[in-house]
Amino acid sequence: MSTRAAAWPAGGIQPDWTLTVLPSTQDESGRHEPLGDLDDRRLVELCLGGRVEAFDAIVERHQRVVYQLCFRFVRRHEDAADLTQEVFLRAYRGLRRFRGDATLATWLHRIGVNVCLNKVSGRKVQETPLDDAPHIPAAGDDPAASFARAREGARVRAAVARLPRKQRATLILRVYQDLSHREIALALGTTVGAVKANFFHALGNLKKILAEEASEKP
Amino acid sequence: MRHLSPDQVVDVAEGRADAAVAAHAAGCASCRTKAESLLDAIRLAESDSRPEPSPLFWPHLAARIGEAVRREKVRVPFWRSWGWRLAPIGAAAVLMIAVGIGLRMWTPGGGPLVPSMPAGAPAQAGMGPLADVETADDPSWLLVSALSADVSVEEAEASGALPPPGGSDQALLQLDLAEQMELARILREELGARAPATAHGPGA
Repeated sequence: MSTRAAAWPAGGIQPDWTLTVLPSTQDESGRHEPLGDLDDRRLVELCLGGRVEAFDAIVERHQRVVYQLCFRFVRRHEDAADLTQEVFLRAYRGLRRFRGDATLATWLHRIGVNVCLNKVSGRKVQETPLDDAPHIPAAGDDPAASFARAREGARVRAAVARLPRKQRATLILRVYQDLSHREIALALGTTVGAVKANFFHALGNLKKILAEEASEKP
Repeated sequence: MRHLSPDQVVDVAEGRADAAVAAHAAGCASCRTKAESLLDAIRLAESDSRPEPSPLFWPHLAARIGEAVRREKVRVPFWRSWGWRLAPIGAAAVLMIAVGIGLRMWTPGGGPLVPSMPAGAPAQAGMGPLADVETADDPSWLLVSALSADVSVEEAEASGALPPPGGSDQALLQLDLAEQMELARILREELGARAPATAHGPGA
């Protein structure tokens, strides 16, 4: 909460500073709770009150899902890292517009989808070569099987990239980001029915594209 | 019942369909096939595992974003960011006005004009002697004259438009040597230029 003294004495010089009342982070025993223990809404309040380190806690909490979302769109580690930074910067600039109708994660997904679709529209996505893909094989994983999975994964990613924008965003949010249909509707600014219809068509098209690619191969 | 709509097929494939829709899917080969095909596609999409960079990447990314956030410029109003730069210009303007008023109030070889005016007389009445000075074609002075036509000296003093007693002396005392020399030069020029005009004025 931020207030400027409205009834400053007439004729006096109004101070240049702003009186800011931050929500306390102290627990009942008077100790300050670590920022990492606070929920998203509280962190947003603190951030709006001027504590930029509260935003660091938001970044630490959500950077993984935002990065994974961005990677699904651009399929390159460096680009995904750049876009993740862009998503958080936009979120920081527009934090006052976060009304809390959806969760912070859903709101970040919404920003992320917009940033990614703007980035990838009108340009050919350059995919990370398989050797550079940010994938760490599990211990004891058979290298040949791991490579085959990575190859299949790259084929699926390429097919997803060929889907129309809304179908692609819906499929990514549902399958890879585990958002509910309602959350996807909030993130994309549409209805649950439209999300399900898009998801239905996205999956149908995905199968069709993969089947076409398989038939084109000698 | 008609065949299931796409969103109902999605519900069946995800196991979230209500009882009526689930019952239809169980009895309708066409809808069941659609739901199974959808489930196949979901499994296919899920076969692409999550990208998982090195654990060292996350602190690096967080630090990078933190730096970028702290580089974000705080928007400050124009008058705050430029105020300190405008201060010297404002001070110079005040000084010039003070010197200008001092010059206007001063008559060559005589006392100040304003004190010689009758108390309470409107400013317009004092324009006689001032009109002697070469101001007839000075648009700035004409504007000031028009604006102050109905203002008495007392009102002007009360509003602070006139320098306080000794204000011109104070302003002069604050000039450094170079400024004093420059002022002396300007005064000499002004007084020298006005002397003939006064001599040929109405009182001559």
